[in-house]
Amino acid sequence: MTATVERTSPEVTPSAFRRWTASDSFSAWAFLIPFLVIYLLFLLYPVVQAVIMGFFDWDFLDISDRTFIGLENYGRMFWGTNMTWDATHIWQWRILGLLGVPLIIRAKRRGSITRTAMIALVVGLIAVFAIAMGVHPGVDGRWYDSQFWGSFGNTLLFTVMSTPAIVGLGLALAIALNRPGRLVGFLRTLFFAPYVLSVAVLTLIWAFLLNPTTGLIGAAFESVGLEPINWLNNTTWAMPAIVVTTLWWTVGFNLVLFLAGLQDIDKSQYEAADIDGANGWEKFQFITVPGLRRTTLLVVTLQIIASFQIFGQVFIMTRGGPNGATRVAIQHIYESGFRDFELGYSSAMSLFLFVVMVGISVLQFKFFPEEG
Amino acid sequence: MTTATTTPPRTQTTEERAHRNRKMRSRLFMAFLFVAAIIWIIPMVWMFSLSLTPNNILQLDTTNLLPQSPTLENFSDVISVGLTPRWFLNSMIVTGVTTLFTLILSAMAGYAFARIDFKGKKLAYPLVLAGLMVPKEAMFVPLFLMFAEVEQHNTFHALALPRIAAPLGVFIMTQFFTAIPNEVEEAARVDGATRWKTFTTVMLPMAAPALTALAIFTFVLTWNDFLWPLVSATQREMFTITTGLASLQGNFAQATELGALMARGVVASLPLLILFVIFQRQLIRGISIGSGGKG
Repeated sequence: MTATVERTSPEVTPSAFRRWTASDSFSAWAFLIPFLVIYLLFLLYPVVQAVIMGFFDWDFLDISDRTFIGLENYGRMFWGTNMTWDATHIWQWRILGLLGVPLIIRAKRRGSITRTAMIALVVGLIAVFAIAMGVHPGVDGRWYDSQFWGSFGNTLLFTVMSTPAIVGLGLALAIALNRPGRLVGFLRTLFFAPYVLSVAVLTLIWAFLLNPTTGLIGAAFESVGLEPINWLNNTTWAMPAIVVTTLWWTVGFNLVLFLAGLQDIDKSQYEAADIDGANGWEKFQFITVPGLRRTTLLVVTLQIIASFQIFGQVFIMTRGGPNGATRVAIQHIYESGFRDFELGYSSAMSLFLFVVMVGISVLQFKFFPEEG
Repeated sequence: MTTATTTPPRTQTTEERAHRNRKMRSRLFMAFLFVAAIIWIIPMVWMFSLSLTPNNILQLDTTNLLPQSPTLENFSDVISVGLTPRWFLNSMIVTGVTTLFTLILSAMAGYAFARIDFKGKKLAYPLVLAGLMVPKEAMFVPLFLMFAEVEQHNTFHALALPRIAAPLGVFIMTQFFTAIPNEVEEAARVDGATRWKTFTTVMLPMAAPALTALAIFTFVLTWNDFLWPLVSATQREMFTITTGLASLQGNFAQATELGALMARGVVASLPLLILFVIFQRQLIRGISIGSGGKG
């Protein structure tokens, strides 16, 4: 596979070759049907089904028992009692969201989106982050489902904490290990190896590793005279501990992608820089960083999408505890459906998560067009 | 470089020294990386060590990286106590079937998209690509309902089908077949071979590297699948090794059985670790073409 590959329609075969037999369309569909049937049934249709279910009060224990309730599930997610509006409510998150505005304007300047799209997106961002997210329950008020905000907030927190750490370490390791040699190859293997473990093995190792009485980390703390910390039972430390666990597990994946990206950079650029007397930092800044642009954007997007789907680590290691500190979106969706038996509500929340994630991928495709 | 250097031979010496210095620094850096990699792998070594240590020793000390009085009793416990062998078999079946069908269906669909010009392609291909954006874990509730309505949960096909529906393989195979020059297929066509025959005897063998990469990648992802088996296979006999092992981690106080638990972790990882050692290159390639669309 040496061809450069883009996300476009595959090329049409030349005209002399166009008609193999009279029944070309027939043979094409014969090749396609087995996959398409399964694909439509088990990948696309569930999205439609989620939309439908979101309008119903749908009982898990008796799936034929369902009542149409319109938008009530969404009201329960997004609304509460005694609602009020504040300019400063959760302002940190809202400013983070509004940072998208300069990105959009830059994309317009570079011509990757139209003027109308720019206006629509800017208005949309302002509507969501500046206005809608200022709405919250006032005095004596409460969200109808405060766990919805808590768990989606934790997913966001995990994403914000883990993405820079995993991407940054992956990049650093890739640069350090981007050289020939058997030993280096062996080291790459060691850093990558945890990626092939399943989430249940990961949690098995790390739950005991982080355990203050049985684990190695506790032992290391004791050996230097420190009191071991019960990481997973501590509201401050539980989420960072999950982030470190995930970092250990998945950094190899990003390492591999960054290594592939580094190997695509033209070596002669470095040689030319050597002749010009550039130092290591300058070479990194002016050759490596621009050369890795496409890879970095890809890695960051994949990382964000993977982080939004975090579930197994927390579900097995902490069950969302202590005190809800690590309860994440998918756990809330799972428990609403499979513990509280409300399939309709849990579908509505899946759909929300789905829309947010598709939104992120679309933005990535639109705003960071693949260059060279 | 403390001595003043003026004569040519001495200058050479300084250059050599600078070179040696650089070499020294590079060695130091490698040593640092080596230590970091060893630390990185300690958690896995620890799992192996605990799995080989008798449980009565583990009640006193769990911090050894080399097993004390090593034993295989934990592994015989895996075979004789509980459902681990059954879960292992379930995982083998589901993962094997999923990988096989992913390869067949992806190769067929990819061939059609890449090599045949037909009505509806402009609609069908973007439709498949759109699926790349559907996050795997987001749609498990409606999927659960679909299988529940026809009472098909706790079956192997319920575990495998949603995985086979993934469009990534089709995307990879389409890209691969598009890159093959026309002359290859032309020769078979002139010889009077049918589409199907050309596909199976000419195109598929050429696609072996791409298929291997796709197979390894699919195998790893399916073996490690957690959320879907968790909701679909709820009878203990139908657990996969991943959900089964997770179910054993519920009560934490069982440090008495730590060795046996770690042995189960080792068993659950073994197929993938073996695959990884043999097919590391293909797995890494699968990752880069699968996520970056490049190879």
